[in-house]
Amino acid sequence: MRDQYEVELEELESLLREEGELVDRAIRGALNALARDDLELVDELIAFDDEIDQRYLRIEQGIPSLLARQTPVAGDLRLVLAILYINLHLERIADYCVTVAKLVKLAHGLPRDAGVLEALEEMGERCREMLSTGLEHFGARDFKDSQALIDMDRPIDRANRKLIDRLIALGPEESQREWAMRMILVSRCLERIGDHAVDIGEQDAYLVRGRFEEFTDASHKLPPVKT
Amino acid sequence: MAEPAFSLRTSGRLRRRQLVNRLMGALALGAALLAVAVLAIVVISVASRGASALNLAFFTQNEAQGFNPTGGGIRFAIVGTGVIVGIATLMALPLGVMIAIFLSDLASPRLARITRLALDVTNGIPTIVVGIFVYTMVVAAHGQSALAGSLALAIIMMPLIARSSEEVLLLVPNSQREASLALGVSRWRTTFSVVIPSAMGGILTGTTLAIARAAGETAPLLFLTSLGTNATADSNPLHPLQSMTLAIFKYSELADAGFQAKAWATAFTLMCFVLVTSLGAKMAMARYRKKLGG
Amino acid sequence: MEAIRTKIDVAGQERLAEAERETVFEARDVSVFYGGQRAVDKVNIDIYQRLVTAIIGPSGCGKSTFIRTLNRMTDLVPSARLTGELRYRGIDLYGPKVDPVEVRRRIGMVFQKPNPFPKSIYDNVAYGLRILGMKKDLDQRVEKTLRAAALWDEVKDRLKDSALGLSGGQQQRLCIARAIAVEPEVILLDEPASALDPIATSAIEDLMHELKRDYTIVIVTHNMQQAARVADMTAFFGLNVTPEGSREGILVEYDKTEKIFTNPSDSRTEGYVTGRFG
Repeated sequence: MRDQYEVELEELESLLREEGELVDRAIRGALNALARDDLELVDELIAFDDEIDQRYLRIEQGIPSLLARQTPVAGDLRLVLAILYINLHLERIADYCVTVAKLVKLAHGLPRDAGVLEALEEMGERCREMLSTGLEHFGARDFKDSQALIDMDRPIDRANRKLIDRLIALGPEESQREWAMRMILVSRCLERIGDHAVDIGEQDAYLVRGRFEEFTDASHKLPPVKT
Repeated sequence: MAEPAFSLRTSGRLRRRQLVNRLMGALALGAALLAVAVLAIVVISVASRGASALNLAFFTQNEAQGFNPTGGGIRFAIVGTGVIVGIATLMALPLGVMIAIFLSDLASPRLARITRLALDVTNGIPTIVVGIFVYTMVVAAHGQSALAGSLALAIIMMPLIARSSEEVLLLVPNSQREASLALGVSRWRTTFSVVIPSAMGGILTGTTLAIARAAGETAPLLFLTSLGTNATADSNPLHPLQSMTLAIFKYSELADAGFQAKAWATAFTLMCFVLVTSLGAKMAMARYRKKLGG
Repeated sequence: MEAIRTKIDVAGQERLAEAERETVFEARDVSVFYGGQRAVDKVNIDIYQRLVTAIIGPSGCGKSTFIRTLNRMTDLVPSARLTGELRYRGIDLYGPKVDPVEVRRRIGMVFQKPNPFPKSIYDNVAYGLRILGMKKDLDQRVEKTLRAAALWDEVKDRLKDSALGLSGGQQQRLCIARAIAVEPEVILLDEPASALDPIATSAIEDLMHELKRDYTIVIVTHNMQQAARVADMTAFFGLNVTPEGSREGILVEYDKTEKIFTNPSDSRTEGYVTGRFG
């Protein structure tokens, strides 16, 4: 029953999956551009963002239409709302990737520190892991493992803080300092990407359990999430 | 503009259909006119044959004493019919409606079937037999009376009223009963305050038909009330009273043309009586319906 | 600062409000049989005072049968029989000394197809009042009732006109007026808007929001969105096929409407409200 409705829901979810994959490639691309200091790749990344925006807009338009015409309730309603929010989070992640790419461009030619780059690479890879875990469990409607997302996010925050200390201690020269500033911003972007990935996990939980609960809170420590 | 795939122009089939339509219409109209014509013929022939006896005195005076074929009137008979049929209606109507309520609301299907059968059989009893029955029950012991006549007519009217009332009671939608019951109104109050008022039209129609039939009965009255006086317009139901039908019977047996005319005139009067009763019921119904805004 | 930091315990407050709500009907293992056939199987439900409770479910799941047990309209079907216990304010509705006519005075009902009497608008409303002996100040009572049913302004100049001249939506509001005229405590509505157009339906729904201030309302509806719009509590009756192959209705889930439509506990409820299963 409600075949047309099922098809529409499936289309939205499928678009989201595509968007997720594209965002994953964008993160990888940004990390590569950073590692190799590759300006051509930067330009490609910025153009690539259009692909992601396309999916984003189609989902943005599809959701009000579906809500109005099909009045989803219960599980369907939660699915549509989850798609809505995850869509937003993905788009923000993609924007941060573009920001990282632009920062690489601005930092081109400045003296680099291998240790810092290695740390950033690791942070970035952690983010990719978190994102793909979150999206996988969204697809499987499988909440329990999203728990692991919190555990993955904490090291990123720690690494971010450690990196800042290292960058501060880098060196007195102006060019070094400029590079350091840029890299702080890159680190900040990666940290934010991590946060958005955790938020995606929260949506997984909402979808499956029917209540919305925050995993992490900016202002204070939360009790452990119950399964 | 391209030619349509099929032609919409008139074909032989359409012309044939139109012809058939017109023919059927004409036949239907003819049948209706025939019915009206029959009624007109009856009324006119009765009226014309009784015309010579129809005058004001005919209605206002009682029978002239002695042998007087053209003098006097049938006031006694008009009053008699009125009393006999009136009392019969008073007996048969409530009884008939209660039976109808029983059939439509209370009886089990089996009991209802038996009751309906009994009513139909009663309806089929020849009225003369009803007359004999009431004679043995009442007149043998107490002598003739209009009341005995009313009793016989009531027995004849009752099945008609019961069956037609039952039909209209069944036609009242159950949703009406439900609505009243859901308000916390008892079953009986519901029947009398909602169902019967709704069915009133049908009940009145059935009663009118029964009255028309009763007013035209002669045979039972022959046994029960034929010894009534024609000299006065007696209206005491305990006395035997003449009826218009008995008067028609009597006058038609007398050879004189004057009496014959009186018979026709009485017949005409009886017909008018029935007509007025029917029209009166229809008007009452129309006014009632207007009040309901149905 | 304290106010901002304090988290409002919404769930806690709601639980408190619920505990304070009186129970109007208590059904314990209520089953309804028509002859030998079971139509409704062991319903357990508490219906709360001055809330709108909706009963939803597919055709044949016993919704209408169940709501009619609440005011003993099932008595009108000779073969109907009820087992289990159904209490109204603590009194066993089907007890030996209970008069069904009295029951129906306190628990009124409005039906699917508007069924005003073929009398005037005034007489329709006054009908119950006259018969039940509430004849004092009849004019005022009739006006008060018609106002409560949101119909007064539309009919005040034609009270003596026939009720049958009103539109479908107006007739249904008149039926509601007729029902509340005798001051029941509970109003039962069996698919009240299914024969009406959307605007008339909307008027009836608005009316229900107002009426629930004074009456406990139970409504059967096959329109889920309507239940979602008007009801505080929703009961989902599902269809159960017994091993012998007969179909009977069972209460699958009963909860706050919000919960039923955002996160129902039972997968059958989920299947029904999302339209996956009839």
